[in-house]
Amino acid sequence: MANDGHDISLDEFRIRAAHTGLKLTEEDIVLLHEGYLGMLRLMARIPADLASEAEAAHVFKPLARPAR
Amino acid sequence: MSELASLTIAEASRRLARGALRAIDLVEACLARIEQHDAKLNTFTTLTPELARAAARQADRELSAGHRRGALHGIPVGIKDIYETAGVRTAAHSHLKIDHVPTVDAETVARLRAAGAVILGKLTTHEFATGAATPDQPFPPARNPWNPELQPGGSSSGSGAALAAAFCLGAMGSDTSGSIRNPAGWCAVSGLKPTYGLLSRRGIFPLAPSFDTAGPMAWTAEDCGLMMDVLAGHDPLDPASADVAAVSYGEIAARATVAGLRIGWVRHWYAHADGASEDMVRAIDEAADVMRALGATVEEVTMPDLLDYQACARVIISAECHALYRKEVDRHPEKFGYTTRRRLQLGAFLTAEQYVNATRFRRKLQLDTDAAMRGFDLLMTANHYGPLDRFENPPVFHFLAKPPLPNPFNVTGQPALSVCCGFGRDGSPLAFQFAGRAFDDATVLAAGTAYERATPWRNTRPAL
Repeated sequence: MANDGHDISLDEFRIRAAHTGLKLTEEDIVLLHEGYLGMLRLMARIPADLASEAEAAHVFKPLARPAR
Repeated sequence: MSELASLTIAEASRRLARGALRAIDLVEACLARIEQHDAKLNTFTTLTPELARAAARQADRELSAGHRRGALHGIPVGIKDIYETAGVRTAAHSHLKIDHVPTVDAETVARLRAAGAVILGKLTTHEFATGAATPDQPFPPARNPWNPELQPGGSSSGSGAALAAAFCLGAMGSDTSGSIRNPAGWCAVSGLKPTYGLLSRRGIFPLAPSFDTAGPMAWTAEDCGLMMDVLAGHDPLDPASADVAAVSYGEIAARATVAGLRIGWVRHWYAHADGASEDMVRAIDEAADVMRALGATVEEVTMPDLLDYQACARVIISAECHALYRKEVDRHPEKFGYTTRRRLQLGAFLTAEQYVNATRFRRKLQLDTDAAMRGFDLLMTANHYGPLDRFENPPVFHFLAKPPLPNPFNVTGQPALSVCCGFGRDGSPLAFQFAGRAFDDATVLAAGTAYERATPWRNTRPAL
């Protein structure tokens, strides 16, 4: 699974938050931690072993220019 | 209730075409209702009455000279305030953009103007189409005309509320994760999330570009079809724009042919112990019976788990909106609402691996949904769970609650329409969705129109 089956403690999350470079208050960190735990629970449903054929199609098109 | 302001687009258009109605009278009727009632509903953030009157008089001159541009000529509409409007403030309900006056219209707004629609002003939204209705934003939140103590749904909150209140006949919404269908369902109006790529996104504040979808809202599905005739079309300057053949959405919707249609009923998404209210389940059961009586086949179908769509959508949307707004949140955190700021920041904690896995999962869900839909023309499921939210203490992370019912069709890109199917015992509007195959928006609108004509729900407006 994408989150390797792990939750993350608030202390671990603080370190993670520092690495993001975001300017966060303690209240921000507590709220974002709660949201991230919810996100981890959801991400546990997302397989990590899907083939590259599952990528969305990337189709190159000529660049459009505004009409003059 | 002013009789004129509560006309459908289809009926007003017929009267305008035969000279039985003047656009200026229609606009004045809408402006009078806004003047009388909007102080308690907050649906407009910027009203442009003189521009609207000038456009209406121009429409009347053209119509009386026999130059009818189409079904929207002379029709008053409102525009969600994330669509750029030349010369008129586009604030996205944000302190950050409070002085932003674009010089160019969004492509969809330009199409409405070219079709002769009369723009009344800009409609309330949630901040950048993602924040909650919190008191730290520059405008008050829109309120639900059916009960102002209740939220109107979002993020196209002003669009849904203004239509239900008969302040305008059509409105633009946008739907990244249900933001057209939520307010449409909560306000008992009609709202179409078109197939992704069918309408241009150019000139609309983005949230998550791989999900962002512009779309019409109106009192009826037929009216949404008439708006689609103007709005749909290839835009070479929008890289996600699809180049597909033109379709007469309004005409097909008006025919309302459903005999022989096969409808897959996704009941397991909402009819369970932790799911929709009893009223909602019963109303949709009855709606299925209505569709059968109209000649459609309705059979239960099993789709992937609703939580799978939610997981996929939440990861992609969180990552994309963070990438778009990070710089502004870093520079001006005080200019964002407290829910908006945290929702935009959460994506900073996602990894590249998680984002790519979600995009691959999206493709799998698209294929699995298509396979499960084999043999069916449409899907039918609940639009929302039931009792509507009040204004107190909106959650910072709304996704921690029940999985949103509109999400699957954002993930797959399919067209989906919110259809009112009655009112609960507490008076809250009830609604279901019809979803179709990609680019078969016309069949979705035809089914919605057929249901609306067979039921009494389009005959009731809220008492303001």
